[in-house]
Amino acid sequence: MNDVSSDQSVPSERPTVALFITCLVDLFRPSVGFASLSLLQRAGCEVVIPGQQTCCGQPAYNSGDYRGARALARQTLKQLEAADYVVVPSGSCAGMISEHYPRLLEGPWRERALAVAAKTYELNAFLHSVAPARLPVVKVKTDSVAYHDGCAGLRELHVRKQPRELLHSVCGITVKELQQPEVCCGFGGTFCAKMPQISARMADNKLKDVQASQAQLLCGGDMGCLLSLAGRASRNGQPIEVRHVAELLSGDLSAPAIGKDT
Amino acid sequence: MEQKSDTFLANAATAMNDTAAAQRRDIMAAFTPIIRQQSIDGFSSYEPTRKHLKRVRQHTLNHLAHYLAEFETQALANGNHVHFARTPQELNSTVLDICQQHSARRIAKGKSMVTEETGLTAELEKAGLQVIETDLGEYIVQQAGETPSHIVGPALHKSADDVRQLFLDIHPLGERELEHTSDMVAEAREVLRTHFLQAEVGIIGANALIAENGYAMLVTNEGNGDLCANLPPVLVICTTIDRVLPRAEDATAMLRLLVRSATGQPQTCYTSFYSGPRRAQDQDGPVEVHIVLLDNERSDILDSEYRGILECLRCGACLNHCPIYQSVGGHAYGWVYQGPMGSVLTPLLTSLEQSAALPNACTACGRCEEVCPADIPLPAMLRDLRAREYTEKLTPARWRFGIAAHAWLAQRPRLYHSLSGIAVKLLRLLGRRKGYLRHLPFAGGWSSQRDFPAPQAATFMQQLHDKQRRERQRHEH
Amino acid sequence: MSTEARSAIFARLQTASAEATANDILRESWALGHAPYPPLPCENTEQAFLTNVLSNRGTVDHAQDRSAAVKAIGRYLYTHYRTQRFVAGNDPRLAAMPWRDAGLLPRFGTVEVGEPLTVGFARLGVAELGATVSWTGKGNPSANNLLAEHHITLVDSADIVATSEDAWPRIQADMERIGRPRGINFVAGPSSTADIEGQLVCGAHGPRAWHVIVIGKLPKDALANALATTADK
Ligand code: SF4
Repeated sequence: MNDVSSDQSVPSERPTVALFITCLVDLFRPSVGFASLSLLQRAGCEVVIPGQQTCCGQPAYNSGDYRGARALARQTLKQLEAADYVVVPSGSCAGMISEHYPRLLEGPWRERALAVAAKTYELNAFLHSVAPARLPVVKVKTDSVAYHDGCAGLRELHVRKQPRELLHSVCGITVKELQQPEVCCGFGGTFCAKMPQISARMADNKLKDVQASQAQLLCGGDMGCLLSLAGRASRNGQPIEVRHVAELLSGDLSAPAIGKDT
Repeated sequence: MEQKSDTFLANAATAMNDTAAAQRRDIMAAFTPIIRQQSIDGFSSYEPTRKHLKRVRQHTLNHLAHYLAEFETQALANGNHVHFARTPQELNSTVLDICQQHSARRIAKGKSMVTEETGLTAELEKAGLQVIETDLGEYIVQQAGETPSHIVGPALHKSADDVRQLFLDIHPLGERELEHTSDMVAEAREVLRTHFLQAEVGIIGANALIAENGYAMLVTNEGNGDLCANLPPVLVICTTIDRVLPRAEDATAMLRLLVRSATGQPQTCYTSFYSGPRRAQDQDGPVEVHIVLLDNERSDILDSEYRGILECLRCGACLNHCPIYQSVGGHAYGWVYQGPMGSVLTPLLTSLEQSAALPNACTACGRCEEVCPADIPLPAMLRDLRAREYTEKLTPARWRFGIAAHAWLAQRPRLYHSLSGIAVKLLRLLGRRKGYLRHLPFAGGWSSQRDFPAPQAATFMQQLHDKQRRERQRHEH
Repeated sequence: MSTEARSAIFARLQTASAEATANDILRESWALGHAPYPPLPCENTEQAFLTNVLSNRGTVDHAQDRSAAVKAIGRYLYTHYRTQRFVAGNDPRLAAMPWRDAGLLPRFGTVEVGEPLTVGFARLGVAELGATVSWTGKGNPSANNLLAEHHITLVDSADIVATSEDAWPRIQADMERIGRPRGINFVAGPSSTADIEGQLVCGAHGPRAWHVIVIGKLPKDALANALATTADK
């Protein structure tokens, strides 16, 4: 697959953004990729989607396979270096690139990692504080929305108020706050497969919190957490609708919610 | 203490099945972060103090041989006996020797994780000594035949009902109600008071050792440690070589962080510095004081990339903020130390093989590191331990294979994209019309607890590719 | 065994420690400086001390001079125990108090089991901590801090310092005079425990109640303000 630009005829002051899709969006929820693409364009960016991108290397990194993770880090860096900005619709993948690549790599590769780290943003943070244009207002049918803060976004990248303010200004949604927004949902990448029972209990606690907030829709910025929570809610028979925040901000809820009838 | 970390998952399952205990853990997990936060919010120099202390601790550890020697010199000058122990066994036999030299039969013991680590109580009991834990939480778990579930609150896993029943069973005090917590505390106070007065040896831990003047610092709320340190004629202080701080003011500065992080108080009720045996004009106090300094792997840790864990203050904040500790409780970890700090320390103090599950009991959520007053990168250390498991092949083969295969494939974008396209088609076939798969091939872990959301149409990359091809064709026409 | 263990441990630590002379280390330690100044609840030290004692679940009183202090102790004894008897350490400052004026009957020495009340004279008060500091010696047996039900601590207002960094030089000065005391005790509250279900109970092993009387000049309204701020909470 070749590098593909979304729009050839843009004025040159539009910054070029490399969109890193992330493997989970690629595999499970392409609609989030298209929503992100469209949001970045609406926000005045020239978007490039490097065609050789695969996975940022988190599964290997967190499982202790540092060699495999390094190889993927180098490959990913090569894909992203050319753009003015790198934007990722996932806090944990953005954190992997900006916080962990520089720790993982050494020598000249570390320099390259630091250069990319400095221009890498989680989607909400970018749209909120960096993008050249404000997002146009969209109509969304629901206003009963809770936001799940993914841990990496929250603690590594300090993404907290950005999605809430965007949801408010773009969709007119006031997020219903959870009691314990800073507590992990139990996904944790390979953790949820290694320790499924513990992970499920953590998901149940999060879903209980969501239920108590009376929100009908749960959104967030990390596909991993969202897939895991939607999967657990389905197993429990809880009717909550789960979506990525990009879908709401783009105003396009035409795709069924995660794990709902396709 | 006997280690049961290798059955972590089974221990965890048992703990999670006890719904009443699980509910108590949920309450503690909601409550403890709030009191810590309030306390930190009221202490505006928290961050600069944390930075200052980090420098002090790093300086001390960089020159640990120097400061330990200085402490020893001062402690000897203060009239103490100073002993060194490389292993838990050496500590235990040193302490047993001291007790036997004094023909001691009764021992009053203060809270000390180090002696839990060495299993001291069991060793002394084997030799026929009566050892009573005097910290209320430790007393409760000792009398119940259990082990501590939390480094700061050893008996927090028990309900007030459990404790009431325990006291009614073990204290032969006749008919009584013990209705309130305060009644139980009062009863323990009376029972233990006698013991304090009769004990021939007191054993305590130390929260810090001051190099410049040879004092040992002891921090408690109950005052039990001070009773152990003052009433019996012989005092034994058991601690580890990494507890040294250069100056007295470093110890009190450390307390500003330790106490707030542990209990949300600005200061514990009793903070005491002991220099040695009683002086000529003293009216009371022990006539002989021994300080036993344990290494047990610490010098090796000092020489490794895990040196930072030696900066731990033992405040327990990382346990209180860990969602996994909340879910499974302290006993699941199967040894002396629990939660994130336990998952780092246990493999280092025992063996990675015996405790291989612990470094995996982490979602890298980062909350522990955020609240750790010593600013220890716990998630990174746990990840590094997982890396050691991976290279030492302690990771199950199935996992190693899966991880390696995924990394291999992801380094071949063309193949990756076409295979992921095929995988998505297959998954869609399986999950057709329901949106979910109840069972996922090759992912038993996930599907034991969760449904698997079925993917949408094709992968993003495929869809994008198709879309662009269509656009190009349109342009050409 | 111990000497062998000692040399083995030190040998191991040497290889793990940074190479430096004692002088280097000393210079490096000077560069560490002091901990940042901790916040006090209000500007004046005495009021901050009283406020923090109260928030540590102590009770407080103020006496202009020693004879007023004796009366304050008498009131406390009467309210809680309807007694005139208590135990006091052999501190010359305590011995010189006009106890008879209030009809009080101190026994000087070390507290015995069952005696409910002790009075001690602290060397320092530390505002930051809401703590009193005393050190063991002839005038201050450690048991007197620990064994009674109620523990009354007197402190001269001139001996109240702002922070623990201010306390150490004062302690050091005394050490130079009398040698290192066996125990230096910071007390910041009645003994307490939260070991059963996290519920706080006062009177674990030590005193159930801790009463601090500041003797001497206090800034205007310090006591009243301290009581008012803690009552708000
Ligand atoms: S690792 Fe940090 S948070 Fe955990 S007990 Fe030690 S000092 Fe406290």
